[in-house]
Amino acid sequence: MSGIAAKLRHNRDRAQGIGTNDHAQKYLNQDFESLRDDCLERGVLFEDDYFEALPSSLGYDELGPSSYKVRGIAWKRPTELCSNPQFIVENASRTDICQGALGDCWLLAAIASLTLNKQVLSRVVPHDQSFEDNYAGIFHFEFWQFGEWVDVVVDDRLPTKDGKLLFVHSAEGSEFWSALLEKAYAKVNGCYEALSGGSTTEGFEDFTGGISERHDLGNADPHLFHIIKKALERGSLLGCSIDITNASDSEAVTYRKLVKGHAYSVTGADQVEYGGEAVHLIRIRNPWGQVEWNGAWSDDSSEWRYVSSDDRARLTNRSDDGEFWMSFSDFLRQYSRLEICNLTPDALTGDDYKKWAETEFEDTWRRGSSAGGCRNYPNSFWMNPQFVIKLEEVDDDPDEGQEGCTFIVGLMQKNRRRMRKMGEDMETIGFAIYELPEECSGLRNVHLKRDFFLRNASAARSETFINLREVCNHFCLPPGEYLIIPSTFEPNKNADFYLRVLSEKNADFQEIDDAVESHVEQIDIDEDDISSHFKSLFGQLAGDDVEICAFELQKILSRVVTRRSDIKTDGFTLTTCRTMVNLLDKDGSGKLGLVEFRILWAKIEKFLEIYKDRDMDQSGCMSAPEMRMAVEAAGFSLNNPLHQIIVARYSQDLHIDFDNFVCCLIRLELLFNTFKALDEDGDGMISLSFFEWLDMAML
Amino acid sequence: QFIPSEPPPPRRPAVYAEQNESDEERQFRKVFQQLAGDDMEVSPAELMNILNRIISRHADLKTDGFSIESCRSMVAVMDSDSTGKLGFHEFKHLWNNVKKWQGVYKSYDTDGSGLISAQELPKAFTAAGFPLNDQLFQMIIRRYSDENGNMDFDNYIGCLVRLDAMCRAFKTLDKDNNGTIKVNVQEWLQLTMYS
Repeated sequence: MSGIAAKLRHNRDRAQGIGTNDHAQKYLNQDFESLRDDCLERGVLFEDDYFEALPSSLGYDELGPSSYKVRGIAWKRPTELCSNPQFIVENASRTDICQGALGDCWLLAAIASLTLNKQVLSRVVPHDQSFEDNYAGIFHFEFWQFGEWVDVVVDDRLPTKDGKLLFVHSAEGSEFWSALLEKAYAKVNGCYEALSGGSTTEGFEDFTGGISERHDLGNADPHLFHIIKKALERGSLLGCSIDITNASDSEAVTYRKLVKGHAYSVTGADQVEYGGEAVHLIRIRNPWGQVEWNGAWSDDSSEWRYVSSDDRARLTNRSDDGEFWMSFSDFLRQYSRLEICNLTPDALTGDDYKKWAETEFEDTWRRGSSAGGCRNYPNSFWMNPQFVIKLEEVDDDPDEGQEGCTFIVGLMQKNRRRMRKMGEDMETIGFAIYELPEECSGLRNVHLKRDFFLRNASAARSETFINLREVCNHFCLPPGEYLIIPSTFEPNKNADFYLRVLSEKNADFQEIDDAVESHVEQIDIDEDDISSHFKSLFGQLAGDDVEICAFELQKILSRVVTRRSDIKTDGFTLTTCRTMVNLLDKDGSGKLGLVEFRILWAKIEKFLEIYKDRDMDQSGCMSAPEMRMAVEAAGFSLNNPLHQIIVARYSQDLHIDFDNFVCCLIRLELLFNTFKALDEDGDGMISLSFFEWLDMAML
Repeated sequence: QFIPSEPPPPRRPAVYAEQNESDEERQFRKVFQQLAGDDMEVSPAELMNILNRIISRHADLKTDGFSIESCRSMVAVMDSDSTGKLGFHEFKHLWNNVKKWQGVYKSYDTDGSGLISAQELPKAFTAAGFPLNDQLFQMIIRRYSDENGNMDFDNYIGCLVRLDAMCRAFKTLDKDNNGTIKVNVQEWLQLTMYS
């Protein structure tokens, strides 16, 4: 409840590394170690108040409290289910996971892919827990949620029916890390049923903090095999699936023994010599742990007889474990969709993998200021947040005929506040990429304006604008500087976003925005310069004390402006008049003398001139884009967060009337002056005690 | 000298919250939904309507009504994501405070004038949770009371909402609790312009 300060604190925490994998946030403030120690001390097993062993934790509809599906369900601890439960047996492997009664194969495919990368697995599943040492019925897992790592605790009461786990279980039945992981993920998402139906990429990203690309295999990138191989080398997680056209097709098995509407993991890509030709092969795994492809290159197929014995020994593994090879061309024909989750450098610590270079930004679109909409809206498109990436080095090992700099742009919407209706409340998002012309090279303190986008065509863009959590695309462009503009499809949609760029080579990626500066010209007026007409007017207004206080000022100004028909206003508030007095009162009397009042008058005349000049459509009001240009004309250079605040604070229905316009500019000037006065050493930072803070903030 | 009230407990997942709320909370959620409309957020104009509806039922509170300007300012100091509107939790915090402070106002208006005089103010503010020093009380009277040093109900609420938010802002930014905060020009403007 501390307003904008909460956001500033969040930014500062992020800058200090809180929320990174090394310093995960405690989900719901629950701390694993202290909860466990407390239980051990009291000699009890942990029971999680935040995710109770109740029907409401299972679901709301199909698994809802009154559904027949949840009848007879008992919550049991692994110690009640088998005599010797294990958290992780030896090393977790991709065959440990078998799907239960929940339609969350997408999640299981993601978990299965996870086991292929030990480092990533040990981040999500901290190995410092077991059913032996310090067992207290509590376990914890780490997930990535919108740019931040969270540490989630659960108790180990699992839903069972007839003494068997209802959902995910291991093939052996005595290993519980995957079932507990599923429970923790259900907790983050509200309940188990919330996990039903989803895309593997979401699971990938929440386990790794990686960035996912989707490939439509019907219209595959000509370099896709190369992309897949490189992705596997980089430790990326890959999933594929076959689209279904109607619900009854879901999990239907084709005569080639492939399952439709089901999420598979891609676990390998290789090349063999076959009939004198190089054949591209791809290895796929069914998370069920059974039901394998029976076509060419499957476990028992004849093709393997005609490859070198080395290749055969290296690649084959004939068992009904759900894993199989197929040719890349069959893969493209049989499957519809491939999803690649590219891991960020912090997910990969060893030297075994090639790493991407990563940069990320959190930012916001706000009605009237930074929610500019897509390029179809040229009047506001330029108001979107702008980012620039400088690509200098070309890739090391380009695919034939494709030399350039490879990078991936991922744009994710956060919508934290509106989680309750996830899905329905997704905005339609995407981005455009412009080449930055040479004359703009190196510029970082300039937010590009409307004209730039009218004169320049985009160099690339996201494949679509879509209402998904994330839009992500792969690009390969010649070296140069590029501008990335993320936006919602329509203007004036409020949303928070998270933008990431992964590049093959180091690339300089920054937000570009105007510097925060004031260039307001001081108005110097000497008493001798003031006309006798003005002096006599002042004499009448000021009365006996020859000074004007805030109360008097309010009456005077309101009388003047409300008579005009060309500007909209409902008169000046006392607060605005107090601010004006504060700004101009040089002698500390709390009132304005003749010269001070004359300067104020000159200011208001100037504001009026700007206001009339910038009111392009003669509406008598500043629209939000007009306001942005007017603030600049008045001598202030501000960035996006500040333009957002101006619209939020001073506009009504995205229009700003004259009194609010004046109030805004007067306050800006006063606050810039105050900062400058307090920043004695000119280092750009000021320190305030509690008293000093309240003195300023309670103005 | 300022001790903020306990921070609210960590937010439970929305599904949990809706299933386990008390009758009073359910009632409040209904009021909020009516008030906030489709976007589920309270704008300054919506806030002004509800506050003015309350004071119309209390003849013993002297006020010239909440202005749109003061409601904008109240929304601004509590809004953490610069949308210009209040969400459910922010509005609930405000609502509970207004209820509490209204009681304080009545019991500390010892002369029954319907106003809080300069003499009554320190006790009233202390009871409202802000035991400030004399210097700050004087500053507040100078800025929020009328020419005679009296504070009417809308100014009283506007002042306390701001005071509460600004004290919380300070605590939030004073991470190491050393009694000072450091800000750069952008943060300074974000904090002070949006109030």
